[in-house]
Amino acid sequence: MATKRQKNVWRSEINDIIRGACGGFLFGIPLLYTMEVWWIGSLVKPQLMMTAIALMFIVVYLLNQTEGFRKRRYSWLAPQPAMDTIEAIAIGLACSAFVLLLLRELTPETSLKECLGKIIFESVPFALGVALASQLLGDTRNENAEAQGSDRVNSTTKNKGDELHATFADVGGTLIGATIIAFNIAPTDEIPMLAAAASPPWQLAMIVTSLLISYGIVFQAGFSDQQKRKQQKGIFQRPSSETIMSYLVSLLASAFMLWFFQKLTFSDPWTMWLDHTLMLGLPATIGGAAGRLAI
Amino acid sequence: MTKTEQPSRSIAEWVTFSVASLILGIIVSLVGYTWLNEKNQPPIVSVTKKQTIREINGQFYVPFEVVNSGGDTAESVQIMAELLINGKVTETGEQQIDFLSSGESEEGAFIFSQNPRQGQLNLRVGSYKLP
Repeated sequence: MATKRQKNVWRSEINDIIRGACGGFLFGIPLLYTMEVWWIGSLVKPQLMMTAIALMFIVVYLLNQTEGFRKRRYSWLAPQPAMDTIEAIAIGLACSAFVLLLLRELTPETSLKECLGKIIFESVPFALGVALASQLLGDTRNENAEAQGSDRVNSTTKNKGDELHATFADVGGTLIGATIIAFNIAPTDEIPMLAAAASPPWQLAMIVTSLLISYGIVFQAGFSDQQKRKQQKGIFQRPSSETIMSYLVSLLASAFMLWFFQKLTFSDPWTMWLDHTLMLGLPATIGGAAGRLAI
Repeated sequence: MTKTEQPSRSIAEWVTFSVASLILGIIVSLVGYTWLNEKNQPPIVSVTKKQTIREINGQFYVPFEVVNSGGDTAESVQIMAELLINGKVTETGEQQIDFLSSGESEEGAFIFSQNPRQGQLNLRVGSYKLP
């Protein structure tokens, strides 16, 4: 009994962290694809970095007082929002450092000051996203629990036509979400810049990261309607196949947007289509995951 | 579950909190370290030729490396190359580096159509601006 509770404690803690990180990705990814922020990070003086951390702490603290990324709130404990704030900032720092590494914006040759500047300035929107995680895609898991009982009965009687319909709804949600986020990034110069720096191993890492974040947002983070999603009667019903399917849809949408904005033409070599699309695929699939939750 | 049980933070929460504090602590102390060790001196930019000159299809590739050994970051660093053959400037090249922060180095190459070994090749940093 005691060990079971222990396990639950760890699991809910990991879920809290994943939910925070996913909120951070939703909010922070557009700024991670902005070269001006990398430059500001490269130039910024240590005094200003300290100021940025202090301001970030204040704003995230204020957000955490109303709503945090955690489910349980011990509001009568005064240091709780402060502790949540430290965790939110740490998640932001870790996630933005990871994506900057993935995008080859941080390399072993980058000087320490530049690394710090880039990580700190990119982590500001991330930390805000972490703090807003529960608000972005509200958590209604417990409230839904009772309604699901009747849903399950209904869903077994549903026929094939509904299955197809659910699949179309999924694809539609993915497309809408992917377009909303990636449309802002597709016409910018960052995509060719980042694609130029990415070698095949990094492209593979990009694919794996995209799939993991997409899976995390839809099936792990405990955002709204997660239970409903797990019972969704689509053709690609299982979480793993749905994640892969939505990633492919996001990649197609990315390729189309790049073509639409004349970043890719049909005379370009296929390798260029591939690396550009994979680069835009990460924000697109994050948007796609959010889109499926929203619908 | 009763209310008296709830306020106690679980081990898991303490573990994540300590890891988070550690990450934040490391970042803050690294920023403090760079602050204390900040060299208040302007950029010192130098450019060096690398040894190997490649010849491909009659073109000569001369690799170079720019280093900023000064304190501040230099923006728009301009590197110029002049190839003198028999005392006359026969070919020139230009390259601009967007950002070069303290201690950073960047690499690139100039391309000439005549063999740089037959004449004198001058590489120099033309200019930079402060951000």
